Amino acid sequence: MIATWYAVVSFMLIIYIVLDGRNFGAGMLQWFVAKTPEERRQVITAIGPLWTWHEVWLLGFGGTLMAIFPRLMASAFAGYYLALFLILWCLILRGVSLEVGGHINDRLWQAYWGFNFVLSNFLLAILFGAAAGNVARGVPVDAQGDFSMAFFTNFNVRGHVGLLDWYTVSIAILAVVMLAAHGATYLTLKTEGLVHDRSEQLARYLWIAVSPLSLAVLVESRIVRPDLPGQAWSNPFWWLGFFVTVVSIIALVSGLAGRRERRAFLASNFLIVGLLATGAAAIFPVMLHSTLAPENSLTAYSVASSPSTLRLAIFWWPIGFALAVFYFIFISRRYAGKVSVQRDTQGFY
Amino acid sequence: MNSIFNDPGFWHRLQFGFTIIYHYLFPQLTMGLALFIVYWKWRALRTGDEKYNQAVRFWAKIFGLNFAVGVVTGIPMEFQFGTNWADFSKYAGGVIGQTLAMEGMFAFFLESAFVGALIWGEKRLGPRGHFAAAIAVALGSQISGYFILVTNSFMQHPVGYQIEANGSLGIASMSAYLLNPWAFVQFAHNQLAAVVTGSFVVAAIGAFYALRGVHPVQAKLYLRAGTLVGLIASLLVAFPTGDAQAKMVGHHQPITLAAMEGKFEGGEMAGVALIGQPNVAAQRLDNPIEVPGALSFLAYGHFGSFVHGLNDFPKDQWPDNLELLYYSFHIMITLGTLFIGVMGLATLQNWRGRLESSRLLLWVLILAFPYPYIANTLGWMTAELGRQPWLIYGLFHTRDGYSKVVSNGDAIFTLIGFTGLYFVIGLLFLGLAGREIGKGPDEESTAVVDQREAVLV
Repeated sequence: MIATWYAVVSFMLIIYIVLDGRNFGAGMLQWFVAKTPEERRQVITAIGPLWTWHEVWLLGFGGTLMAIFPRLMASAFAGYYLALFLILWCLILRGVSLEVGGHINDRLWQAYWGFNFVLSNFLLAILFGAAAGNVARGVPVDAQGDFSMAFFTNFNVRGHVGLLDWYTVSIAILAVVMLAAHGATYLTLKTEGLVHDRSEQLARYLWIAVSPLSLAVLVESRIVRPDLPGQAWSNPFWWLGFFVTVVSIIALVSGLAGRRERRAFLASNFLIVGLLATGAAAIFPVMLHSTLAPENSLTAYSVASSPSTLRLAIFWWPIGFALAVFYFIFISRRYAGKVSVQRDTQGFY
Repeated sequence: MNSIFNDPGFWHRLQFGFTIIYHYLFPQLTMGLALFIVYWKWRALRTGDEKYNQAVRFWAKIFGLNFAVGVVTGIPMEFQFGTNWADFSKYAGGVIGQTLAMEGMFAFFLESAFVGALIWGEKRLGPRGHFAAAIAVALGSQISGYFILVTNSFMQHPVGYQIEANGSLGIASMSAYLLNPWAFVQFAHNQLAAVVTGSFVVAAIGAFYALRGVHPVQAKLYLRAGTLVGLIASLLVAFPTGDAQAKMVGHHQPITLAAMEGKFEGGEMAGVALIGQPNVAAQRLDNPIEVPGALSFLAYGHFGSFVHGLNDFPKDQWPDNLELLYYSFHIMITLGTLFIGVMGLATLQNWRGRLESSRLLLWVLILAFPYPYIANTLGWMTAELGRQPWLIYGLFHTRDGYSKVVSNGDAIFTLIGFTGLYFVIGLLFLGLAGREIGKGPDEESTAVVDQREAVLV
């Protein structure tokens, strides 16, 4: 049961990353694929109607994590205190700059908020990437199961580590490039004209850049966590994630080469799902690896709620998820196809 | 040296208090306004009168801005349970995490999946789809209110829990937890108070246009709906829901009731102080004007009922800020009474057809709109200060709940960060909402042109 809940909670975080990741990517590319105010408006229109729907998956994840693994939620959030507030503030800046930019039809106003929008999306990709790196590398969990961490210490990956070191920074770089590629693939699907053409070209370059970066991270992960592969290969979910990744790569390459925009974007989603799923399966059952002593590590079994509480959650979670799937289908149908700046408007000007 | 700088609990409380009060300024309008939008969209569908669609379009813009700020300021709330209140989350996460997760999955998903459709999608969805989106958003906001109030009710009046082998809390009965009687009363009281905020805002903007002599049709619409709904909601907030809430407090938290009323000595025929200043050092209410027996009657149904005073309880169980609690409660009650008067007068004048020409009353309506926000805030301060010194009433102390690994400096730093960020957001919100209100509803009929455009694209 705890393994199932681990899969569920990881799955919710992965959905959040995939859904909001496209907004991070499209957002940070806004000024690279769109030069005129009208072109930039196209990018906003591709993100605008749905970003709150994407962002609330983070809340769905946070609440579920608290209900199922309260001790982990408490240790991890308190331990990542300042980093987490940076993420929250960037999310605030991202949402605010997206919303208020469209209120006034003025070049300087929109440029000002546009810059904040691009910057906050870029920072969010870095921060989520570094966070993923921290989960993979581990954090200095003490014997009580708590930790607190500086932004950086000596940039090494063992002992008293900081938020940033050579390993987490390289994962952050991979996250930026991969989410940018994801966003470019999304914009290719949703936009027309010059924005579309620039996004299409950029998507190819970025996806090409993803491959050496991924290989580098793979090699680095072997060095940082030599214990992981053994666990991973005996976990069927790891093989499932691996399979999804391989199929997605094939679909992505054929989609990009054959200009099949829908296929490319679907493949891009599933590629990220597959990669994150292999990661989540590889570290299981450890949820927070301790860099100080392996016995301090927080495992899913040691941080979970009581069995009776977990059983109760089984009753409502599938209903909530089924409803979410229903909304998802509704949205995918309603918002299929290219966006139109004339039709999809908030009506401010 | 013993200063507040050395007390981390103080900073964590201040940060949570500040961020939650600020956050709640936005959802209370969302919850109230959503009902108006649904009503007008329904009237538009029924009558085909374009003025209702214009009202929906105008209010959807204000709603959208308000909703976006509500979302971005709401996300930190859930995360602060972990960052600032880690020990509380470790203890009670298995219980309150359930409703926080349900709020996400049943309410936020619904709300935010359709809010984009409500604001951006009138042309994509057509009138019926747009109406459905409005209903979904209104429903989502109410469900969200319920789940968060169940969470709060558990902290006020814990039910349905069990203590697990490791000392933390788990759920013994999901139905008892979700159907907490406290939550029903609080939900009714709180949601109606949100409707009061919504109707004061709607009426204030109607009054603004009426005084300016612009958008006469829309002004009339807002004034009529705002004042009538405002009167009904203001009455229901006081009775029966406010009354039931006070009885609930008197029954389950007698110390809190005594503190809210500044009552140090218990007794029969306990009075309600209309005015008076609690003097904690001397343990009495200075300069009181009391209605004798009123508290006994209101809290327990008989003028002769015995009401406990604070001195009947050990001092370490008293709420730790008596003065703030007392004034929050009393100013809320005063404001609530004034709301009934203002809205009653406005409804009467409207019924006589004289509201648009009563310049003084229109001015009062404009000037009154901030006060429901204040009353809502004070109501929540009463609830949360009254719960002290407990985080979960009778089970878990507030001083045990904060994150021990987070230093004071970190907590102060993030509090300052929130203060600055929220100041800027407040300026932006007021500036942009003011701009939209200044421009006013778009009264040209654009529907026909838009349909042709929609076919073309």
